[in-house]
Amino acid sequence: MEKQYYRSLDELKVDREKVNEKPVKEFEAEKDVLLDLMEENNFNTSSSRRDFLKVFGFSIASAAVLASCEQPVRKAIPYLNRPEEITPGKANYYASTYFDGNDYCSVLVKVRDGRPIKIEGNTLSSVTKGGTNARTQASVLSLYDNARYKAPAIKGEETTWKNIDQDIQNQLNQLTQNKEKIVLLTPTIISPSTKAVIEQFQQKYPTTQHIQYDAVSASGILDANKKTFGQAFIPSYHFEKAATIVSFGADFLGSWLSPVEYTKQYVQMRKLDEGEQKMSHHIHVEAGMSLTGSNADKRIIVKNSRQKAVIANVYNHLLALSGQSTFNAPETSVDTKAIAEELYKNRGKSLVVSGSNDTDAQMMVNGINQLLGNFGKTIDTSVHLKIKQGIDQEMESLVQEMNEGTVGGVIMWNVNPVYDYPGTDAFSSALKNTKLRVSLAESKNETAEETEYICPVNHYLESWNDAEIKTGHYSLGQPAIRPIFSTRQGQESLLRWTGSNTEYHEYLKNYWTGNLFPASGYLSADKFWTDKLHDGIYETDQSETNINGFSSNAIVNAVSQLKNESTKNIELELYQNVSVGNGTHANNPWLQELPDPVTKICWDNYAAISPKLAEEMGIEDNDLIRIDQKPIPAVIQPGQEYKTISVALGYGRQKAGTVGEKVGVNAYIFSRFADGQRLTWSTVKEVNKAGEKYPLARTQTHHSMEGRAIVREATLKEYQKNPAAGNELHEKIESHHKTLYDKHEFPGHHWGMAIDLNSCTGCNACVVGCSSENNVPVVGKKQVLMAREMHWIRIDRYYQGDQENPSVVRQPVMCQHCDNAPCENVCPVAATTHSNEGINQMAYNRCIGTRYCNNNCPYKVRRFNFYDYTGADALPGNIVDPAEMTLDLKRMVLNPDVTIRAKGVIEKCSFCVQRIQEKKLDAKLENRQLGDGEIKPACAQACPADAIVFGDLNDENSKVSKIFKDQRSYHLLEELHTLPSVGYLTKIRNKEEA
Amino acid sequence: MCKANCFRGLYLTVLNIILFISPSIFSYAAEADTVTTTDNQDSLTHIINNQAGTHDDHNDYYQGNTHDEHHGFDLNMKKAERIFYGLYQQEGNTQSCASCHNTFAIDTFNWNPSALDIAKLYVNKTEDDLAGTLLNPTGKVTSKAHANYNFSEEQIQLLKGFLDKYSAEHESLPSKPNITQTLIFIGITLLFLLALVDLLFTKKVRLRALHLIIILFCLVYNTRVVVEEAIALGRQENYQPEQPIKFSHEIHVQQNNIDCRYCHSTVDFSKSASIPPANTCLNCHTLIREGSHSGAFEINKIHEAVESGQPIEWVKVHNLPDHVYFNHAQHVGAGNLDCADCHGVVEEMHEVRQVSDLSMGWCLDCHRTNEIQFTSNKYYAEFEKLHEDLKAGKIDKVTPEMVGATDCMKCHY
Repeated sequence: MEKQYYRSLDELKVDREKVNEKPVKEFEAEKDVLLDLMEENNFNTSSSRRDFLKVFGFSIASAAVLASCEQPVRKAIPYLNRPEEITPGKANYYASTYFDGNDYCSVLVKVRDGRPIKIEGNTLSSVTKGGTNARTQASVLSLYDNARYKAPAIKGEETTWKNIDQDIQNQLNQLTQNKEKIVLLTPTIISPSTKAVIEQFQQKYPTTQHIQYDAVSASGILDANKKTFGQAFIPSYHFEKAATIVSFGADFLGSWLSPVEYTKQYVQMRKLDEGEQKMSHHIHVEAGMSLTGSNADKRIIVKNSRQKAVIANVYNHLLALSGQSTFNAPETSVDTKAIAEELYKNRGKSLVVSGSNDTDAQMMVNGINQLLGNFGKTIDTSVHLKIKQGIDQEMESLVQEMNEGTVGGVIMWNVNPVYDYPGTDAFSSALKNTKLRVSLAESKNETAEETEYICPVNHYLESWNDAEIKTGHYSLGQPAIRPIFSTRQGQESLLRWTGSNTEYHEYLKNYWTGNLFPASGYLSADKFWTDKLHDGIYETDQSETNINGFSSNAIVNAVSQLKNESTKNIELELYQNVSVGNGTHANNPWLQELPDPVTKICWDNYAAISPKLAEEMGIEDNDLIRIDQKPIPAVIQPGQEYKTISVALGYGRQKAGTVGEKVGVNAYIFSRFADGQRLTWSTVKEVNKAGEKYPLARTQTHHSMEGRAIVREATLKEYQKNPAAGNELHEKIESHHKTLYDKHEFPGHHWGMAIDLNSCTGCNACVVGCSSENNVPVVGKKQVLMAREMHWIRIDRYYQGDQENPSVVRQPVMCQHCDNAPCENVCPVAATTHSNEGINQMAYNRCIGTRYCNNNCPYKVRRFNFYDYTGADALPGNIVDPAEMTLDLKRMVLNPDVTIRAKGVIEKCSFCVQRIQEKKLDAKLENRQLGDGEIKPACAQACPADAIVFGDLNDENSKVSKIFKDQRSYHLLEELHTLPSVGYLTKIRNKEEA
Repeated sequence: MCKANCFRGLYLTVLNIILFISPSIFSYAAEADTVTTTDNQDSLTHIINNQAGTHDDHNDYYQGNTHDEHHGFDLNMKKAERIFYGLYQQEGNTQSCASCHNTFAIDTFNWNPSALDIAKLYVNKTEDDLAGTLLNPTGKVTSKAHANYNFSEEQIQLLKGFLDKYSAEHESLPSKPNITQTLIFIGITLLFLLALVDLLFTKKVRLRALHLIIILFCLVYNTRVVVEEAIALGRQENYQPEQPIKFSHEIHVQQNNIDCRYCHSTVDFSKSASIPPANTCLNCHTLIREGSHSGAFEINKIHEAVESGQPIEWVKVHNLPDHVYFNHAQHVGAGNLDCADCHGVVEEMHEVRQVSDLSMGWCLDCHRTNEIQFTSNKYYAEFEKLHEDLKAGKIDKVTPEMVGATDCMKCHY
């Protein structure tokens, strides 16, 4: 039976024929803009033959002028003294650590000729295990951000480090003499050596208070654990050990705590490789459609204000099941008994988490996990996760004290409270009551712009650092490039202000050899240091000892006060998406252009509203609505809770640089402080239509694959009976594959790629990884609106079933490298041909831009360069550069092994041919055969879920060959006899009904 | 209306053809003296700047001299110039300065520093320094050449003045333009037009066949020139730019038997063969401070670079377009090719010249005919069928093409 999938709600409403006309066609707008080269912003002129001749004449003339230019004299400038480890033309990889106060990732930095150009996961780390997320992948571009502060400045005037140090030191001394309070405001610090630096600073200036401030905090968990375990900490979660996962609004695959780590763990229980019959059951309770929720087997829709009641009921049922006395839980319509029973069945191999910042909710979750015996099994309280240590109450007190005028000086390091503190200018006005305002900031931001002293800090790729992400799990960060600008590490600034002249590098090394080396078992401290620096990580089996036993007293107290706090009002839910996140990296164009995995919208945030509410209020997609007077475009989201509106945080930056400024609206102003914690949901007084339209750039509706068996899925039960369940078509189609023509011969390799739809969570790390590796251009919102985004890999998302609560499937689609490729035989200039390794090749310089191939590709994976986005052309008029990607500074990020494409050529996924060639050459030079798994395309490398497997189909024992023989394996639109080299594994859901 | 459009179209086409032809003329003129490409551009900017009447740094000299000073200065300058060019008689058998230190770019290779090199070197030095080198040189080569020099203090002052002026006047050496081929092209075009005009309008020559022959000849000749130029556009066969240091491969490789890999050490395992860093030079040149031809002058440049921290800016001879990926390790490390296969007999070149045209056809020729290390390199074990064919004698060798080296995406990605 074929299920009905739909890509957007319009499709359900309108009959099919009409829908076929509906999607924006990529080339539709084109006739209007042929001439926008000459007539900027005048899209209304229709072009005639005369205009064509004008353009023709102009282009020939300009070509002639260009050709008459002489060959430039190119210089080859060698080093004076070449560093030992540098080989020109070969990349070096340095282990380092990415931590921006929010995301942690152990990484390898690819450095080519002195420039960091790519971030890869470090497989040695037992935390992130080689996985990355979109923001980590994109972080290399932030290094070359033009909005970075380039020199220290006092009141906007550039100055020297000496001057600024002297000024700040004098003021700090004065504040200390007057016994006035100094506050050091940072995000969570996980670096042990930095903590030591801060301590040193506090000793020198004893009135200093260090406050850790997380814009989106885990304060509720900390508080709950303090009450139940006697210490504020975040435990280690082990999703890989849980047969049943129940998440109450915790988006653990997307934004909650440590998503890369959790994704790695989660997919271990989701993979059905080699005949595996079991997988975890994931129940997700939430209001808005999150990335994690869309991956769940069972998604229960509950508005934020009611989630606590659901938790209470599950807890109550579990109390009953385990024979303990129950309490009066508020009513809920959710079948909590079934959840409780399933959990109880899986005692010790289940995991319950909550994303709420409500202490009571978190305490009840602790109570549930305690009843299930999960502590010590799926939750490890002896190894703590060290991120998100910010206590919301401390920040509240700080603002209060600042308003009272009792804070003398504030040093803000990598925080941006002017932007992300609740309320429109609550922090900003409080800040004005302080005498000394120092900002240690990397790039332009709202907070730094309101301080007298800006001490620019290095990007992490220019810095030394260390981290203790979990108890005993240390990692080191090392610079991969000298500071590009006149910047200085924050740690070094603090050290200078304490009067110390030690370089932080020395300080760090001393810290490691002094504190960590003795217990390491190494004989030499130098060897310890160089080894750990090489690996990037140092893991010990240290554990936290001072954790009390579980105490349920506080929970009893909490449940007794539970009220039935249901409101009829519309609720506003604030969340972080996988691209822009908390807004720190809003100026990163790779992230801005990354389509949201749920709505497929980029370059904006929006209000996701439920279809039912939209119908009641007469709201359509792209309608501007006002939430408490704040205008924001609306998007109708299937699966959204009836009276909940979800808005992403991290947008609406006022001061961030060219890319990030004024993109979307700032939703932080809606967050609020209640019951001792900062909450990311609130009730809304009024929502009304503004009566205007606001176009949102959506990459979804124009990737049409109408009504065909594109994503194949089955339930776990069906799969257990028949591994080919849902994939019956495959065999039938295979038997029809007959041809008169000769088959391609692949004498050596035949590259193939297998994608496990069961593992893919849709996190988008592959998309950014691909852009970074292959110099994929950024086109900007205007071009995306015309369906001209350039991503070589996209993640299609389809809804299936009831639009009130649909199930979601995702499918990464890149060039399928068909062995019978429709694109190849329509190219009039043979610019796209088949290689003897099965790669569908694209020779950019032969391409004349007819786009016949694009037209003939059933997968729509070929992208056309309507303009020059990276500065590849010689003609400046061809450039469309919404993201400053043609600046020399930003072009430093380009991969020199991949050609940048000029205007007028088609481009597409090449299976990262540069990586294939590199590894083949390595094998030749080492006189050996190429090993399976040696070649990893950028997407496979970036994937935290190991959903993408690449290898040689000619080798019967390769992993990809084995997957291709799996009964779940099928090809996209295989009925067309395109014979793709990309295969998919069916999606299996662990649920009862089909 | 339609007609008008047609005419316009025709006109534009003609315009396009004219525009298309004209650049090839320019490039023709430019190509003749590729050696001094930058020189031309610079002198061109001078001219343009002067015409536009701008007052930038370059022009200070021209406009800076007032008329009062001009006279005496000029006379002394004349004297100095005569000394430099050897027009001022000296006792004994001496060579003029200009006979070794050329004052314009020359086609032949000159070991000695040019006048400009010397002028630039002494701009910030005193006259005593100049006298030292002139009269009591330390190096062997210079001592020999300067053996009989006997300049007075005044003469040295004059020479210093001349050199200072020379360095201020010249950014680079003036070149002798070679425009014969351009002239031929223009001449033939004129002839073509003349024949055409006479055929259609003036009709002075009765013999119509002559017109047609001339027109046909001119057309064929110029088309050939245009086509050849168009094909060669961007190619630099025989490109032999002047390098910042007169480094001779002949002396280093031929005479002193240094292996290519001693300096181009990464050729076997990296994409780039790499230009050696200055400290590789210093391995020998910390001891060898003077060359047999150029004395200490050229070698000193290495030491200067290291001391000043300013790297040496070599001019890249072999340039591939950006859309071509070439890897030395593949060809030399894995393919066992000899350097000379592509670069020619560099050991016989004082100044490196590009021998191959580095065109795609040239690449493919080898990829189709050469033999790869098929049996000796274990990597190729993957190609089972080819191994069988080779054993069965169906093929006598395996070319790069057979393993896919003529596929687009082996070089273009």
